Amino acid sequence: MIREIPRVGVYVCHCGANIAAKVDVEEVARFASKLDFVESARDYKFMCSDPGQQLVVDDIREKGLNRIVVASCSPRMHEKTFRKACQKAGLNPYYFQMACIREHDAWVTEDPGEATDKAKELVQGAVSRVLHHESLVPRTVDINPNVLVIGGGIAGMQAALTIADAGKTVYLVEREPCIGGNMAKFDKTFPTLDCAACILTPKMVAVGQHENIELLTYSEVVDVEGFVGNFKATVRKKPRYVDMDKCTGCGVCNEKCPAKAISEFDQGLSKRKAIYSPFPQAVPNTPVIDRDMCIYFKKGKCRACEKFCEADAIDFDQQEEKITLDVGAIIVATGFKPFDPSVAERYGYGKYPEVYTSLEFERVNNATGPTEGQIRLKDGRVPETMAIIHCVGSRDKNHNAYCSRVCCMYSMKYAHLIREKTGANVYEFYIDIRSPGKGYEEFYNRVQSEGVQFIRGNVAGVTDKAIGEDEKGKLIVLAEDSLSGRFLRVPVDAVVLSVGLEAAEGAEAVARMVGISQDQDGWFNELHPKLAPQATPSDGIFLAGCCQGPKDIPDTVSTANGAAAEALSLIMREKVEVEAAVSSIDAERCMGCRQCETICMFDAIEYDSALNVCVVNEAICKGCGLCASTCPNKAIGVRHFGNEQILSEMEGVML
Amino acid sequence: METCSPFIEVNEAIREMGGEDLNNCMQCGLCTGSCPWRLVDGDFSVRQMIRLAQLGLEGYESDDVLYGCTTCGVCVQRCPREVAIIDIMRSVRSMIMETGAIPKPLQAVVGSIHSNRNPWGEDAEKRVAWQKELEVPVFDGTQEYFLFVCCTSAYDRRSQQIARSMVKILRAVGVSFGIIGNEESCCGESVRKIGAEEAFQTLAAKNLGLWGEKGVQKIITTSPHCFYTIREEYPGEDSPVQVQHYTQVLASLLAEGRIALEEPIEAMVTYHDPCYLGRHSGVYDPPRSLLTSIPGVEFVEMDRNRENSLCCGGGGGRVWMETKAEQRFSDLRIQEALDAGARILATACPYCITMLEDSRKTTGAEDKIEVLDVSEIVVRAMGL
Amino acid sequence: MSGKRKKIVAFLCNWCTYTAADLAGTSRLKYEPDIRILRVMCSSRVDPVFILKALMDGADGVLVGGCELGDCHYQRGNYYARRKVAVAKKIAADMGLDPERIRLSWISASDGPRFAEVVNEFTREIEEKGDTPVKHEAYV
Repeated sequence: MIREIPRVGVYVCHCGANIAAKVDVEEVARFASKLDFVESARDYKFMCSDPGQQLVVDDIREKGLNRIVVASCSPRMHEKTFRKACQKAGLNPYYFQMACIREHDAWVTEDPGEATDKAKELVQGAVSRVLHHESLVPRTVDINPNVLVIGGGIAGMQAALTIADAGKTVYLVEREPCIGGNMAKFDKTFPTLDCAACILTPKMVAVGQHENIELLTYSEVVDVEGFVGNFKATVRKKPRYVDMDKCTGCGVCNEKCPAKAISEFDQGLSKRKAIYSPFPQAVPNTPVIDRDMCIYFKKGKCRACEKFCEADAIDFDQQEEKITLDVGAIIVATGFKPFDPSVAERYGYGKYPEVYTSLEFERVNNATGPTEGQIRLKDGRVPETMAIIHCVGSRDKNHNAYCSRVCCMYSMKYAHLIREKTGANVYEFYIDIRSPGKGYEEFYNRVQSEGVQFIRGNVAGVTDKAIGEDEKGKLIVLAEDSLSGRFLRVPVDAVVLSVGLEAAEGAEAVARMVGISQDQDGWFNELHPKLAPQATPSDGIFLAGCCQGPKDIPDTVSTANGAAAEALSLIMREKVEVEAAVSSIDAERCMGCRQCETICMFDAIEYDSALNVCVVNEAICKGCGLCASTCPNKAIGVRHFGNEQILSEMEGVML
Repeated sequence: METCSPFIEVNEAIREMGGEDLNNCMQCGLCTGSCPWRLVDGDFSVRQMIRLAQLGLEGYESDDVLYGCTTCGVCVQRCPREVAIIDIMRSVRSMIMETGAIPKPLQAVVGSIHSNRNPWGEDAEKRVAWQKELEVPVFDGTQEYFLFVCCTSAYDRRSQQIARSMVKILRAVGVSFGIIGNEESCCGESVRKIGAEEAFQTLAAKNLGLWGEKGVQKIITTSPHCFYTIREEYPGEDSPVQVQHYTQVLASLLAEGRIALEEPIEAMVTYHDPCYLGRHSGVYDPPRSLLTSIPGVEFVEMDRNRENSLCCGGGGGRVWMETKAEQRFSDLRIQEALDAGARILATACPYCITMLEDSRKTTGAEDKIEVLDVSEIVVRAMGL
Repeated sequence: MSGKRKKIVAFLCNWCTYTAADLAGTSRLKYEPDIRILRVMCSSRVDPVFILKALMDGADGVLVGGCELGDCHYQRGNYYARRKVAVAKKIAADMGLDPERIRLSWISASDGPRFAEVVNEFTREIEEKGDTPVKHEAYV
């Protein structure tokens, strides 16, 4: 329905030579000027430039134009620019339509004549569509000022602290019994070699004590509903069987517990009790009872922990709890898991006891780890020669095609530590050394000057089949040194596999829950890899740290702060504009069949039983249009993407 | 493909013998790419040699590889890791020296150093024979300068002209100088590069002893090799002697107005920077200021000049080794001088003179170009 | 390519296939010019009626483009699109129109080359089929 006589202005952009070299822009403008309701049509060098936009503004004011068509680049590029220009001239921004004659025409069509014809039709489609545009006003809704952070590693902790320091409430949810994530397992950090615990512990304590952070450990987010500014998250709190308010963290329970289990934190290299804290400096320091290993839970008696607990904190009756949190923004910081090298048999992991993964080796190096920080072979000897193998599971299309970014640097850190602690000869087998970062290349040079040998070759195998005397009792690493063109057999006492990083366990479920996507490797997709690296296509959901791809600690902390800043920038706006192009139901035509309610992917449609009609909750509607194309009575319209608008554009391009 | 195991003890030995930077090499290959051997058909690859040395794999020690290096220093100047590549070369050669497996011609050189105190197999007692009729003052501690004549300039017929020219100039200008005589010994630069570290240290000690005894305070050298090694490699933090290459001394005299270059030389002249004067010591301007001050001289630069000068091929012991005709850098240098339009190719180093003169003859350029030492040209221009 | 150009209407979802079309342009990939791209926010917006109307109005072919299954910006819109296109094909066939003049393709935002490939493939197929019979005088 056309309410007023349309007066359309058409602007054909040259985009320098980008369009004009292929499309006869003057001809297209001439053609447009003859179309119905077109008041003025002109071509211009750069429509997106200030004078180009001014042209539109002036014409609206002077010629009384009430519909604008710009034929230039993709609307994904400059739709906002021209909408703003319309608005500046007092015209509702939705009275604007773009014809994409650059990306969809000038750049992809060989023949200038055909490109010009195509441009004409695209312009005709846009003119025909814009006649049916309606004035729309974006609506605003209040934003809940609380933020949810999923994942309590260094990324989640940093994001939570930054937001909490700004005076906003943060819920930090961690599925493990304590925060700290992978970084808490590390020993030293490259290239400065400061100890991970020394820099992480104060942060963990700060998180634990911050008045604006509500820490939910041993908990998982199981459901997220709502939309930007108004999310509702359901969190499942697993029972610790220890009352957090009563527990003093004295550790007596741990001492007295008779049941032993493999320590996950020490990568299986040591034992822990059934009631345990993963590591001594854990935050919170309240232990948890591992139900599967606890003798009381298995056999019905023991309760040694309970007997000795002076604080009376043991509570075998604790139940799982579900709580709901209202938040305005969500930061996903679910981190990574290390690649499992047992799937690549040639490295002998799992077969030879002296083949370690990097995370295992972190624990070996750590003073609180299984060897109290001493590098020793399983038989207690000090190794004389060690090999470190780079790119295990990385840069390999059989496993992960991508570079895991941190392995070169941590490998060289190990080389340094091995040289320092044992004086052993160290061989690094690498494909390329990647050391981009402050002080990283310098560290590489330093490690070389410390006598570490770098063999440029992807390791073909690790074997214990000795040929000569020197190889007896050793593991032999086989690789070509591609720099000398020689095939090397290097006998060593132990091997460290520098395994790559993979998306964390459960990343897929998180993605589905918060409505974001994963790339082919499982990492979460950002809105734009360069210019919007912390945002996601889902408004109000932000990414921090390794969940979007491998990162070192400095980059993780930066992205965490970036995500925190974006979340803060959102919640401090207090109100958010929601999409104007949403669905609406014509109550007169709706027959209450409720099909739309069933199929809506966002639960944005409710049924009003009193009136027997369905109603769209515009705050929730994302404007996909599924309901409109499904409604059997065509009672649903999508604003700006209505049937009339789409069909008139279609007719236009086909004339 | 050969299967082998790294022999890390070799790596350690090289580092102990002076090649401390061995492991700093990241194998980028800029050295190999910048090496003058790339201009000729040669297999010598610096990177490859260092790689084999790093892992102690066989192959780095062969004559063609290890002794191909002329120590010209282009690679060192460019190395992004500032690896002292020549020190590595030297220390690996030292290691081979200990096994006695050095190339035959170099064995003779080292032998001669031991028996004659010069590398040329010449009689130590005939060191001053170059003076012939010239009256050369004997240094007794009263003169300002000790003129240290390079072994090559002392014994090689062509090169003797450099020593003789210097005497003529210094006398004409009235500079107070002298030479010590047959007691003098080789500076030891070349034998050190060959790997005879002990012989070098002995020579250095002997020379410093002699100079101290004679009261030497200022030295003028005829060769950039002597100049460099006395200045940079002789032991002792603060050397008691001050050493200058003769071009520096002459350029100062010129600037002071004590040298008058009045005899015109009507010719296009170009200048070849000796590696040890230019790249190694940073002396580029003094020889040029002398040449350009001569009336009639039209000075042109060759494409490769100053820091990018092309090695003559005579350093690092190569002057004593046989180089195949198609592998001679000096042949290329003669051609470059001709391409620049020069009729006189000037230089300021006895090795360069030897190599370039040789190429001038063997490439049939005798009628097209003259190879002269700067000192010889100054003699002409002073009308001596 | 010989003869007159065909009329091919494409309904592309904003998040993936439309973006892929932009990328094909930015990458300067050349493809057949018969296609006319219309933007919809989600492939599930494409009403079977749109497709049938296009054919009835004389389009030689209709292309619907959406995100790869599992990658829908609106979670599962493309699954619905798949059903809707299937319905349109069925009706077209019942109407005596060639259902192969309708094509549904999943092209991710980063796959410009795939977009150009699909356009060329589909254009070639339509070329082979010739002009739509709807354009026959009797129907006009």
